[in-house]
Amino acid sequence: MVGRELISLDYAKVALESEAVLEVKNLSLSFRTHGGIVQAVRHISFDLQKGETLAIVGESGSGKSVTTKAIMGILPGNASIDTGEILYGGLNLVQLKEAEYHKIRGKRIGLIFQDPLSALNPLMRIGDQITEVLYLALKMPSRQAKERALELMTAVGIPDAEQRFYQYPFQFSGGMRQRIVIAIAIASDPEILICDEPTTALDVTVQARILELINNIKRERNLSVIFITHDLGVVANMADRVAVMYAGKIVEIGTSEDIFLTPEHPYTWALLGSIPDLDSPKERLLSIPGTPPNMIYPPVGDAFALRNPYAMKIDAVAEPPMFQVSPTHYAATWRLHPKAPPTQMPEVLQARISRMKAGA
Amino acid sequence: MVRYVSGRLLAMALTLFIIVTISFAMLRLMPGNIFENPDIPQVVREALNAKYHLDKPIMVQYGYFLRGVLADGDWGTSIVLQPTKPVFDILWQRIPVSMHLNIVSLLISLPLGMLFGILAALGRNRAPDHAISFAVVMCISIPSFVFAAVMQYFLCFRLGWFPIIYRANQVGWEYLRQIVMPVLALSFGPIAATTRFLRGELIETLSSEFMMLARTKGLTHFHATVRHALRNSLVPMVNSIVGMFVGVLTGSLVIERIFAIPGVGGIMLQAINALDHPVTIAALIFYSLVSLLSILIVDLLYGVVDPRIRMGSRR
Repeated sequence: MVGRELISLDYAKVALESEAVLEVKNLSLSFRTHGGIVQAVRHISFDLQKGETLAIVGESGSGKSVTTKAIMGILPGNASIDTGEILYGGLNLVQLKEAEYHKIRGKRIGLIFQDPLSALNPLMRIGDQITEVLYLALKMPSRQAKERALELMTAVGIPDAEQRFYQYPFQFSGGMRQRIVIAIAIASDPEILICDEPTTALDVTVQARILELINNIKRERNLSVIFITHDLGVVANMADRVAVMYAGKIVEIGTSEDIFLTPEHPYTWALLGSIPDLDSPKERLLSIPGTPPNMIYPPVGDAFALRNPYAMKIDAVAEPPMFQVSPTHYAATWRLHPKAPPTQMPEVLQARISRMKAGA
Repeated sequence: MVRYVSGRLLAMALTLFIIVTISFAMLRLMPGNIFENPDIPQVVREALNAKYHLDKPIMVQYGYFLRGVLADGDWGTSIVLQPTKPVFDILWQRIPVSMHLNIVSLLISLPLGMLFGILAALGRNRAPDHAISFAVVMCISIPSFVFAAVMQYFLCFRLGWFPIIYRANQVGWEYLRQIVMPVLALSFGPIAATTRFLRGELIETLSSEFMMLARTKGLTHFHATVRHALRNSLVPMVNSIVGMFVGVLTGSLVIERIFAIPGVGGIMLQAINALDHPVTIAALIFYSLVSLLSILIVDLLYGVVDPRIRMGSRR
């Protein structure tokens, strides 16, 4: 374990040589529900570097989608941002009024939805759905808007764009609809693209092509991408850096290599251990016992402690701070404390990582 | 398209035939016969029964009726209300009065109902929504004739703002003044129904994914709401127009009576009570025909507004 040292919760920026286009600092948000106040996101901080892809992974309810909704300013009415700021281009988006926010949405930050089947308006022609933002918000003349839409449709790989322009969503397949959603997201040339599980609703063969498309678009337009997913296989192909979320907190963040080859947090171990792969000998997949905690009453100490076979006494008492593992790699687990007894990751995972290293 | 419409028309004719058959049978099976009057001499009674074929079995009577209507356009004559006057003429005078009332009521109800529905949905779970929803429940649960009677008493009788009953042959301002009350009484229900329906639809589309996409692509709240939420929630409204139109029609049965409006509804009630069967059955056919036609028109409209239905067959 190198460079182990205790640092504050507001941990240092990743020491890459590029600039951050988006910074989330100490963000907490909660939902008022009938059952009580759900603390969906608790004091998370991360930044997005220019031109990188940051993947946020975690199971359902870990707060990853909500975080992106907060960035887009489309939180539902019963949500409130309790602490923290979202810094973009010198603005704190948390304080931005709705009347101003639509200048950010779409134009500076684009969003790709999880379910392309319901994301398009069923009664509006595909072309109109792409061009409306161009002529309503950017005041582009309609002929020019159409040309641009056709360019976009071709760019996202839609054949016969001219003809498809006048069709309705029900005449498109799922993959084609997701391409349209992508075209809409990049229509007004945003700087940041947020992909909220963009391939979850698609079948596997289409998934790969959509991911490739997102990667190409990112390269061509020099976009910075936040990629939300619970599929670690997708992460490996897409991400420069990975943030692992659990129970509304980022428990580990680092480069893809950091997370896949030298994971530190037992939750990350558990996630990685549960990916099936073809090379594995007859081994059982690891599963994570129990269920995620009820975020109306978040547990004291480490939220993962109850499901963690490596938990220590302190996990039930105090929340672990972010420990720096390397200049790019941080994890919030007491394992990394200098006084913690040494623990080893599960053998299954160790074996798999050595295979990955050998393969790579 | 032509095939579709002609198929529908054929089905409509069949439906109408079934309705006519059932109502004819039911009317003839009702107890009582206007000629069963002890004051009428036996000979006269038999002659009358023979003239109106009442001495024949019911199937034969039905045959006479159908042949009269289909072959000669002869709907028979009124027996009691306006004896010897052809039923067709009686209705022909009254249909414009009723239709006018109903259409004006719909033209008022739809925009008002839509307006209130939009206000309620946009101000969901806040004061405007609560106020509107309360009024909606009142208007749906209180029958139109109660409104009619109450308004007639207070606004027409006590305050004298509007005429108490309808007078034929009024024109211009006076005509407008006298239809205000019946139209209002007819409109409360449909306004409430539209409001409730649109509120529900709009709330659903407002929280839809495509609405979210509309906002994340950078449309203002106003643009997203008007172009996506509102437009889409109006489509299912088309379907509810049938129900409303039929509802207004049946509502006007009673309202016409309260305000003494010489429309189809009033004459139908009178005819039923007076056992004037030829008039009753003609009025019934009129109501059925209007309902069936409005269903057909709405189904066709549906295809116009929803591309999924319009192009469904071509796919």
